[in-house]
Amino acid sequence: MHAQRGLWLFLVPSGTVLTLVLLYPLGYAFYLSLFNYYLGAEPIFIGLDNYSSLLLDERFWSSLRTTLLLVSASVSLQFVLGLAVAFGLYKLTFATKGLNVLLFLPHVVTPVVAALFLRWIFMGRWGLIDAILIGLNIFPPDWLGNPNWARLVVVLAESWQFTPFMIIVLYAGLNTVDQSQIESARMDGAGNWMLLTRVMLPAIRPLILFVLAIRIMDSFRFFDTIYVLTAGGPGTATETVTIYTYALGFRLLEVGKASALGVLTLLITATAIALVIAFLYRRERGAF
Amino acid sequence: MIIDRRHALKALGVTAAGAAAGFPAPFVRAQGATVQMVSHRYPALEHYAAKMQSALPGVEVNTQLMPFDRANELATIALSSGASTFDIVYASDSTVLKYAKNGWLRPIDDLFEKYKEEFRLDEYPESLLDAYRYNGELFTLPGTANVMLWFYRQDLFEEAGKTVPTTIAEYEALAADFNSPARAGTISCQKVVDASLNETHWYMNAIGDGWLDPDLRPIFNDDKGVEAVETLKRITAYAQRGFTSAANDECTIALQQDLAVQGLQWATRCASMDNPEKSRVVGLIDWAAAPDGRARLSGDGYAITAYTSQDPELLFRIIATALNHDSMVEAAGLMVPPRGPILNDPAIAEQYRHFPGVLAALETAVPFPPVAEFYELGETITRRVQQAITGEMPVKQALDTAADECTTLLKDRGYPL
Repeated sequence: MHAQRGLWLFLVPSGTVLTLVLLYPLGYAFYLSLFNYYLGAEPIFIGLDNYSSLLLDERFWSSLRTTLLLVSASVSLQFVLGLAVAFGLYKLTFATKGLNVLLFLPHVVTPVVAALFLRWIFMGRWGLIDAILIGLNIFPPDWLGNPNWARLVVVLAESWQFTPFMIIVLYAGLNTVDQSQIESARMDGAGNWMLLTRVMLPAIRPLILFVLAIRIMDSFRFFDTIYVLTAGGPGTATETVTIYTYALGFRLLEVGKASALGVLTLLITATAIALVIAFLYRRERGAF
Repeated sequence: MIIDRRHALKALGVTAAGAAAGFPAPFVRAQGATVQMVSHRYPALEHYAAKMQSALPGVEVNTQLMPFDRANELATIALSSGASTFDIVYASDSTVLKYAKNGWLRPIDDLFEKYKEEFRLDEYPESLLDAYRYNGELFTLPGTANVMLWFYRQDLFEEAGKTVPTTIAEYEALAADFNSPARAGTISCQKVVDASLNETHWYMNAIGDGWLDPDLRPIFNDDKGVEAVETLKRITAYAQRGFTSAANDECTIALQQDLAVQGLQWATRCASMDNPEKSRVVGLIDWAAAPDGRARLSGDGYAITAYTSQDPELLFRIIATALNHDSMVEAAGLMVPPRGPILNDPAIAEQYRHFPGVLAALETAVPFPPVAEFYELGETITRRVQQAITGEMPVKQALDTAADECTTLLKDRGYPL
């Protein structure tokens, strides 16, 4: 028991850092969210009015819908592509390491820089794709100006950058599957598809749930890619909760309301993750 | 420079000493340090920025030039936090009201009076200076006046036997006639906030009744306002690719690169049409007042921040030197000179072939409503207008939503609506 108590000391450094860089700003954000605080004017205490006005705000719900749409589309695409490539790498008998490094490169690039590359690729008229297609006398859609195409480009951009993370984690997971299970399946006549879906995926399910939880959490903070590519537009077509928070804070200077939205976003994300963790603990204790 | 443990400890010591004294040492700028200026970017402002750098001997001026929205955002973030990051900021007739209302700028009436003779400041018409006054105090020394006018391809119009549109209905028909996949019938600059607000302002004033009534209640969602945005929506069908993310730079390039036939653009962009290094249409563009008139009238200049650690007199002298009579004559082709004697000088008007169009546009031009929060209203208005023109929301619903959001915002800011 004494030794157990001593172990708590190990948490002190990280606990101190977390308090300073996470809990204090969080507490301050919650404090600010209780004020009608327009930068340039004196803050006025209004209790929970910022929260109620956000819950009645059409733009908040629209940004939340957009966030859910983009998160689910991009994480699903990342998972499917990541799994396919990871399985391909697993089956490959040569050049695996080199390919792994190459495939991981998009993930190494800073998100803002990656988004700038992509902007130059998808930009109307002068972008790489437009320039090539128009050179061939083909006039493609307005990638960033049409709401539906803009959403698709954002999903593709996010997937291009984060699929490598999925690949690495899933590839590592596939390599941990017990070889005897694989051999048995093969002896029973299982093909690649059967092997992947009936043997390997169930074996790494805790890892899959873990990586999905991480990516969902991360994607909820969708900001830099969208900010550079579309700035939330056209209109509000790609305006996620974080982009709306930015607009409230830095364009409309509504610090109180922006803080309230930050707190709401945290609550939404935390609830989603809590549900995933609860589900995992009940079903797959090994995941966390 | 060698970075070793001794140097690192020394740097840490300096920082710690600063922190102990109540401020983070690396973030405090001493008087006499480089003067920092942030500004929007277009040729006339590039000219002024270069002049500032050499305005006073021995005074280094670092000028950061960027697109309008970025400059406004950066200045807003720095000023709202009370930081002395910038000493001089770019301010337009619309942003200056917000900055001044929030107490972010230093009034310059005393300096204006003191240096009136030396810099011939009485050349500025009082009516023009009024646009930069808040509660009777002057906050900006104007560098340009500006007006949006009609750019059109004279050669293509002549070839097709067409005349310059005088109404928006004629413009719409011409845009449809000229439109082709390779060359758009018109430019449209609908990037939120600034560019979209400028263009929509014209439709709102030429077809609609404007933005707000005298009590600041939104009127842009009335029948005429809806008709204005419906017209804008129809015309954007003939606009260049990527128009929803196009600001002034992108529209200027579309005209320069022969990718569009006509459209509304700022007077400050006229001269660049005839710059052979940038333009494929040298001598082919001509200018007129916008169809139905009532395009945006604007202007901009430079202000001294309230949080500067520099001597305000030194900063004023830098601005006034960069914007002096001779400098403005040099830059007259790049903008509409705000100094009366230069604007009305027939020799200068003769020198620049876009001046007749500019003068015609000035006759009916309309400024933004003098509301300090107008750009913040624009944030919501332009997003809703984009939703309307991209078909994400019906026009009436988009404008009604924007009107509700504007009313809420103005009420939150204490306006009795």
